[in-house]
Amino acid sequence: MTHQKSRLLGFVSLLNGPQTMGRGWLFWGSFAVFVMLAYLAPTHLGIKPYKVNEFLVSAFLAASLSILWGYGGILSLGQAAFFGIGGYTFGVVGINMWDATGNTHLAFLAGILIPTIFAAIIGAVMFFARLKGVYVAILMLVLSLLFETFMLQTANPDVYSIGKAMLGGSNGLRPASAIPSTTFGWGENVAEFNGRRIEFYYFVLTLLIAVYLGLRCMLNSSFGYLLVAIREDPDRTATFGYDVRLIQLAVFCVAAALAGLAGSLDTARINRVDPELVFGVSANIMVVIWVAVGGRKDLTAAILGAITLEWMFLWLTTSGNPEYAQIVMGGILILVMLIAPEGIFIFLGNRLGRLYAHSAAFISRQEDS
Amino acid sequence: MNLGTELFGFAFQYIDSVAFLILSAIGLSIIFGMMGVINMAHGELMMIGAYVTAYSIQSGVPVPIAILFAGIGAGIAGIIMERLIIRHFYKQLLSSLVVTWGISMVISQLFLVLFGPTMESLRTPFSSVKILIGGDIGFAILGAQGFSALVDTSGRLPPGVESYGVYRIIMFVVAVLLIAAIWALMRYTEFGGRARATMDNPKMANALGINTSRIYAYTFGLGSALAGIAGGMFALTASITPFFGAAYTVKAFITVVVGGSANFIAGLIGSVLTLGGVQTLFTNMFSVYIGFVGMIAAAFLILLLMPTGISGFIEHIKARSK
Repeated sequence: MTHQKSRLLGFVSLLNGPQTMGRGWLFWGSFAVFVMLAYLAPTHLGIKPYKVNEFLVSAFLAASLSILWGYGGILSLGQAAFFGIGGYTFGVVGINMWDATGNTHLAFLAGILIPTIFAAIIGAVMFFARLKGVYVAILMLVLSLLFETFMLQTANPDVYSIGKAMLGGSNGLRPASAIPSTTFGWGENVAEFNGRRIEFYYFVLTLLIAVYLGLRCMLNSSFGYLLVAIREDPDRTATFGYDVRLIQLAVFCVAAALAGLAGSLDTARINRVDPELVFGVSANIMVVIWVAVGGRKDLTAAILGAITLEWMFLWLTTSGNPEYAQIVMGGILILVMLIAPEGIFIFLGNRLGRLYAHSAAFISRQEDS
Repeated sequence: MNLGTELFGFAFQYIDSVAFLILSAIGLSIIFGMMGVINMAHGELMMIGAYVTAYSIQSGVPVPIAILFAGIGAGIAGIIMERLIIRHFYKQLLSSLVVTWGISMVISQLFLVLFGPTMESLRTPFSSVKILIGGDIGFAILGAQGFSALVDTSGRLPPGVESYGVYRIIMFVVAVLLIAAIWALMRYTEFGGRARATMDNPKMANALGINTSRIYAYTFGLGSALAGIAGGMFALTASITPFFGAAYTVKAFITVVVGGSANFIAGLIGSVLTLGGVQTLFTNMFSVYIGFVGMIAAAFLILLLMPTGISGFIEHIKARSK
């Protein structure tokens, strides 16, 4: 009994731990309220699922860059490369397996695994060569742009097709109508999550909460401590006997898996994957903007950054002057880097935490006297 | 086509690609070498230069002066950028990378809004002068009249003859002159001395009374001006769009990194000669795409073998042989 209790406490402390912001009743209380509101949003608050589904998918990508750059200290300017690989893999496997199985289990799995394997190869070469941080950042961008250029010239279906799927050059993966939505289950008992519908919203929201809590546990485990140690001082961490390169490779793979998951979900959401949208410069820079503006060194802040900025971007593009949307995004990035370099939500969180601590201290002092 | 013609063709392409790499990388290399800042908005400074050149030429300014204007315009833009934003990010490599990327996005989108998606293409200077080689001609430089006398009715050259433009060779000459000028500036002027002192040891230089902050601003302006000149020269060969520079930023970055920052002029020369060769070879053998991939692969290999770049490797060899 006591043993079980201590395990439960251990789990709670992993959720609370020092590497992620937010602990105690105030945070978890507002977290619960927030989650409840999110579940009620489409039915009671008039939020349109087909609009916000995109933001939820972006949150996975933001989480991926946050753990890589914010926690591991490895900046990648090409995180969308894994997003794109995941998206293409989901599409290709989905198109080919649909007739045989009627579900997307394999496509979903491959959409996560293939980017991870790819990251393991690239990462092994980069980290074991002890490539400097800036070079890693730009090399990833270059890789993403190389994928874009390659995919753009795959218009000829005789050469560039994998089974029934044609890569389709600048038109994106074809036949687009055959790209399945995320579907789980066998035979008659299948659950299909159409990307424009409310089911997909509930599915992705639940997945996001699960991934969020899981990542919190990971970041507060000894692995998370190691990540932060490497970010702060890789040489000192190495003198403690840890293989820095191996841990960098591990976090690179985890981040790639998350980005691949986001890519799979996005392909399933719109039944489309297009080289310029997934591998291009603006796809890559947007991820960096979400995470840098929200706050790279905290998972919650990065996810909130992605959702709010995507919301704002949609509002800007639909409210008359779409051409200014990217200028505003870039401007926000520059301003935040100058004024609150740690990111908006970390800045606000710290303020709030200090305020709360002050008032708590004030109350306890009053009780004393 | 005989061997001589083929060799000349190869040499011409090599010179062409070396000139492109030198011009696009020289400004970035000064900024990276001096301040350790990777300027992701480098391509946008080139784009500003291209637009200044285009507007100057359209309003009747002669080409060389238009390109000079491009340098001045981009230089001013660079100094403004440095004073407002970049000076807060020295010694923060990754943050400077991110913030300059943001600047690049803002500038290119702003130009898209202000000037539209494309500009009217400019005429390449001396485009009527051709260098001809091979066939019965051997070697000849012809003007428009001689050239039209040579081609048949459908505009084809006689068998075995290849024609090349003169402007590419002018670009190469300008690139070489710019390197020499920068070398002389760093070696013989007072500014060069102060700049090198700042590069070696900024704290000591500051203690000795050099205003390092001003040196940084001027150096950034100089690098930007060189980017503007490069953009102006490229504007005469390619169509100008707000996203014109982005392709060059990546190539310039690769060139600079392979060169290393130990001695940026020697590094730049070594780097463009190697990478230009690889690019020309692979483009000739396969395709432009493979040429670019080959260049990146070569850069990666060089970095694995010489982590501090070519110039760092040279310094290392020198230090060992002493």
